[in-house]
Amino acid sequence: MSQEELLEKFVRGFLGILSLLAISLLLLILGAVFWQGAPAIDWEFLTQASSDFGASGGILYQTAGTLILMTGAVAVALPVALGTALFQTEYLKSDRLKKISRNLFYSLNGMPTILFGLVGYMVFGVYLEAGVSWLTGTLILAVMILPTLQVSFQQAVEALPEKYRDAGMALGLSPVAMTCSIIIPQSLFGIITGVLLGLARAAGETAAIMFTATTFSGVLLPRTWTDPVPTLQTHILVLAQEALNPKAVAQAWGAGLVLLSLTFILIAGALFCRSRMRMESER
Amino acid sequence: MDFFRISTAFMALISLVLIAGLFAFLVLQSAPVLAGQQWSFLLGQDWWAGEVYGALPMIYGSLMVTGVALVMVLPVAIGGAVFTSEFLSPNQRLWVKAMMELFAGIPGIIYGLLGVALLAGWVKDSFGLIDGNTILTAGLLLGIMILPTILTLSEDALHAVPGQYRDTSLSLGLTKLQMIKSAVIPVALPGIAGAIFLGLGRAMGETIAVMLVIGGLDKIAEPWYDLFAPAQSIASKLGREAAEAIGSGQQWSALMALGLILFLLVMILTFMGNLLLKRVR
Repeated sequence: MSQEELLEKFVRGFLGILSLLAISLLLLILGAVFWQGAPAIDWEFLTQASSDFGASGGILYQTAGTLILMTGAVAVALPVALGTALFQTEYLKSDRLKKISRNLFYSLNGMPTILFGLVGYMVFGVYLEAGVSWLTGTLILAVMILPTLQVSFQQAVEALPEKYRDAGMALGLSPVAMTCSIIIPQSLFGIITGVLLGLARAAGETAAIMFTATTFSGVLLPRTWTDPVPTLQTHILVLAQEALNPKAVAQAWGAGLVLLSLTFILIAGALFCRSRMRMESER
Repeated sequence: MDFFRISTAFMALISLVLIAGLFAFLVLQSAPVLAGQQWSFLLGQDWWAGEVYGALPMIYGSLMVTGVALVMVLPVAIGGAVFTSEFLSPNQRLWVKAMMELFAGIPGIIYGLLGVALLAGWVKDSFGLIDGNTILTAGLLLGIMILPTILTLSEDALHAVPGQYRDTSLSLGLTKLQMIKSAVIPVALPGIAGAIFLGLGRAMGETIAVMLVIGGLDKIAEPWYDLFAPAQSIASKLGREAAEAIGSGQQWSALMALGLILFLLVMILTFMGNLLLKRVR
């Protein structure tokens, strides 16, 4: 074997080991969460209220709170993101403006989430007088996931084959009819992808809601617009800091496993839908 | 037609207003402290709520943990990206990409829990410290957090290098290794740099995971490169104090000014990242 072949083998092996390290590090994390969280999980854990300051009982209402916030956020963000995406694909002709707005969205996507919490609290909580409530949290998360949805929608619409549009034009469809009967139905998988990614992002967010929307105890389900809710994320946050109470930490791991499973299912669903979208657009 | 046009334009406008509003808000709300203290806010080292606010220890903390995260993650992420793009079959590559996307979605609070319950104890025992909440712990945790982002984005950059570069190099008689070194990586380099900037932006803005393991001490370590000292990043300071200062007063204004610094830092990183990443495509 020549020296070069040997070198190539060596470099290849070395890079392979690095990749393996990357994947095993991340698998290690999954393993740790599963290992520590699985013992806490049983039917009671999923279906009971927490008690004893979170050290025993279940996480029913925390799960409900997380679900309320994430679905609320997507419900608010969906029309805005869809409208923005359609405006850019259907009306905005200037490439420069398109580029600027795309950059703005990428910037918004990279924004530290705690800033959404701080500013969002002032706007929704103080000026709109929603206070520390699930409504404030929902609106903050809606702003946070807006770019996630918008970018997915826009990609989906832009990936539509030209012939669909041509067919619509040939039929003399108005922009509204074109949107409702061609663009939205044909990019449905892309829209679902965006929604699932948005849900996952909202479900995993803690910093933006911990002082604006949540409570640790007292409230179970919100009865008014301005009630705070308990959530899985903030439940874990509080319990994780009770290092001296092993029962509380065990509950935190259980809640962590539930939260992680939730986000993974959503993201896996999004990946699946995106692959369907590709197949559709290549037909 | 016009109603449709106006309503979509209105939605597009909302998005614009949100971004501009966020920035304007941070500026307005931080004005009282910035006007009162001017440069001593940026360069001051003491933060006593109600008296004086100095941001330097937090800026230092943010830069330190982000720097540690970068050093830890870079070889693994870039090595993994090169391997995935150049040596794996298309099918294997898609699997790696899907896994990275899944891993990038692990919530920050899960990392925080891992940090508090496992990593901090490990750092404490391995290095014989009194307390495991240090710059190193936070940096390690952040490094793992941004690994999927940097890996998958730099892999995109490598994979986007046109086939003709590869073909030309091979037809010149270069080995695969030489081709990667002298044709693929140089062309992909701006994109890789972009991926790193975006990862750093994410690391700098991460609040929860860092807040739980950084130690929460508003002080520049002695000496400054002591990784085993507790510290405080901008984001962790915001996370810890937002609830108590909420909504009004000088302390809130000081926190908003910290938020403004964080906004600008992350904005620069994200902007450069997107700029460089775009050039490849």
